[in-house]
Amino acid sequence: MQQENIHNYLRSYFLANDCPIIQEKQGVLSVQLTVDLDKELMNRPFYWHYLEKTGGTPNPMSLTLITNQDEDEIKGEFVHFGAPRLHQIFSSTKKLASFIRLYENIQSTSQQHSPLHPWLCLNVKVSYRCDRKKDRLLSLGLHLVSGTVVDDFHDKLNEKNLTPKIPDYTFTISPIIKPASGIARLEKVVEMVIGKEDHSWSEEAKKRWAADQILLDQFYEDNVDAESYAVEKEALRKQYEPVITAEVINGGIFYLSP
Amino acid sequence: MRMELAFNEEWKSDFLKHIEDDGPWTNWELFKLAIEAERHTTIPSFTGLQAPAHLPHLTPHPYQLEAARRVVEDMNGKAILADEVGLGKTIEAGLIIKEYMIRGLVKKVLILVPASLVSQWAMELNQKFYIPAVVQRKSYVWDQCDVVVSSIDTAKREPHRSIVYEQDYDMVIIDEAHRLKNSRTKNYEFVQHLQKKFCLLLTATPVQNRLEEVFNLVSLLKPGHLGSYEHFEKDYKGKEKSIEDEERLRTLIQKVMVRNRRQDTEMDWPERIVKTVPIHLSDEEESLYRAVESLKQHPVATRSQFSIITLLREICSSREAAYMTLKKMLEKETIEDNTESIILELMKKIETIPSNSKAEKALEIIQSIDGKVIIFTEYRATQLYLQWFLQQHGISSVPFRGGFKRSKKDWMKELFKNHAKVLIATEAGGEGINLQFCQHIINYDLPWNPMRIEQRIGRIHRLGQEGDVHIYNFATKNTVEEHILSLLYEKIQLFESVIGQLDEILTRLGMRDIEKHISDILLHSESEGEIRIKMDNIKELINYHKEESDATRKYS
Repeated sequence: MQQENIHNYLRSYFLANDCPIIQEKQGVLSVQLTVDLDKELMNRPFYWHYLEKTGGTPNPMSLTLITNQDEDEIKGEFVHFGAPRLHQIFSSTKKLASFIRLYENIQSTSQQHSPLHPWLCLNVKVSYRCDRKKDRLLSLGLHLVSGTVVDDFHDKLNEKNLTPKIPDYTFTISPIIKPASGIARLEKVVEMVIGKEDHSWSEEAKKRWAADQILLDQFYEDNVDAESYAVEKEALRKQYEPVITAEVINGGIFYLSP
Repeated sequence: MRMELAFNEEWKSDFLKHIEDDGPWTNWELFKLAIEAERHTTIPSFTGLQAPAHLPHLTPHPYQLEAARRVVEDMNGKAILADEVGLGKTIEAGLIIKEYMIRGLVKKVLILVPASLVSQWAMELNQKFYIPAVVQRKSYVWDQCDVVVSSIDTAKREPHRSIVYEQDYDMVIIDEAHRLKNSRTKNYEFVQHLQKKFCLLLTATPVQNRLEEVFNLVSLLKPGHLGSYEHFEKDYKGKEKSIEDEERLRTLIQKVMVRNRRQDTEMDWPERIVKTVPIHLSDEEESLYRAVESLKQHPVATRSQFSIITLLREICSSREAAYMTLKKMLEKETIEDNTESIILELMKKIETIPSNSKAEKALEIIQSIDGKVIIFTEYRATQLYLQWFLQQHGISSVPFRGGFKRSKKDWMKELFKNHAKVLIATEAGGEGINLQFCQHIINYDLPWNPMRIEQRIGRIHRLGQEGDVHIYNFATKNTVEEHILSLLYEKIQLFESVIGQLDEILTRLGMRDIEKHISDILLHSESEGEIRIKMDNIKELINYHKEESDATRKYS
């Protein structure tokens, strides 16, 4: 992630959370936090607790974030890809952006009402873990009438003009598939996608595991009742056992033109 | 392969609740940002290092990055990091912890280090690696904090021990791990019982003396890698080793060990400028030395309570050191009249010594140097004397010992850095302080184990040292010290050459206990000539193997 991307990310994050920008120039961003975002980011629960108890006027902080490494006149926090502040904001984004419902903003007239079809969108992170790890992001869309599944759904949404309010002269088609069973269907889809992948990595991990287990057994030869043997054995399982997990990052209902 | 593909329950039920309540919904901008954040933090591949991208302030050296990569990809996260002192093992360890944390494979980390390094480790991990490491000061820290730095002595004691055992560590890191070479110690047993998915053992001196010690270290890390104790003993000890055995063992050890040497790093290190400073004993000192030396043939010498070699070495250091040893002998209840009178005689001689020739030389050197100086001595009595002696000449010094508490060590280091000119350290204090702001070391007396000398120099000849490093070796003329210096430090060029190599050679020659070897020669030779011949033999043997090992290195 380049410093400029980080700057843009921070800017969008604060704007999306209704924080006014106090000052902005190349690589510098000063924002006035809202009460909610102060609570979210500034880690001062005692202040807020105290204020609520005494009924004082809230005074949320402002924050200056600097992404330009050469900037030395303005005081602020230097933010880069490894900075804890950035990762705090990343996880805050995910927490605040879990659920959504949007409509495609299409032009219709009173003469010709247009239908909008319901889609369930899930953005899923699949993690492959043994003593090593990698991830894969899946963005799946499920048409809640026909059951059609589309992948890279997020990219497709990105090309559309979306709005939180249902546009004039449009109507939504009622879903036939309920959201709960929609989720279940997409779980099956993920399973199928993963099933088709090459899993030699997990075979390799099992080989490494078995090799270490053999050594361990040799080491403890006649002493497999020893407490440390059990501890070591369990540690090997935790280290090597191949596991695949799936986690929903966020998702929602989208009403789109056919 | 286990598949846990059901989506997170909490998200599902929350989502359905939002549908039921018709909101609240997030906005599209934030929704897209969440995906963007996820794309940036997704790990695309099992291999390669993610950590450097997260650490823009840190520029690791290529060999450090390669070390981190090897540990993660080739060693499955269990390794002995055995770079020479001062090459930045902490940086390598930090890179590895960071890599695993970014990949989400490690959350809970236990870092056990010498007491004097606890705060430094915590500081470096926080500042250089943005790893929120916490120094263990209160017992709640064990279970409430993810990354904890502690001394092994604290951790192994109750009430900590039980709490530590209850924790599920993803990674255990042990600094100065050569202290765990003995499998019969409490520390060893403590570490053996820790659950460790990933484990790093850091040491600059992995093969100090005996093969058994390597076996113990490797067995902590990866039990069975070198076989069971019985097998190891049968295969490698006692009998004459075949070349194949040696090679097999070496290959096995290399599979779990990263060892970078200065000469392999292709970097410009500050020079080591080594100077031997000959010391001439005063008549009174000389007379005491000869008196002890002449006891070699005396019947008391054959009894273990009278250690002539120790005394000779102490006399070369300070009369105070020798005096303390004699006093202890006197206090023994079982002492014989005969021995007692010898001791009293020697003590009388000590009292006639007016000054310390070595201390005067040290003073002269310190006064001629602009910067700070570290003096290393083997003896506490010498340390105390030197502090007093320098004080008499208006030079401020701070003492440093292994036994100091962590806070005291930190304090002494700060005092030295900001207020004092000289730091006087005993052997045990040598490890675990980093003093790269200092450029001069006086080896007031020399340890007989070359690895310990390297530990000393490594305190200042390390990453971050900007100037050349000056080493002054004191050697008293016509004494045991001269033999040692000439053998170990001049003829085999210890100071200029690479210690790891010597370490390997000594191991291969079966001379791991070199101290005892030398001590035997000195004690049992009839004449100076015999000593010289025997010492020359050692030298020839070592140099022969060194050339051989240089040759193999060239072609490998």
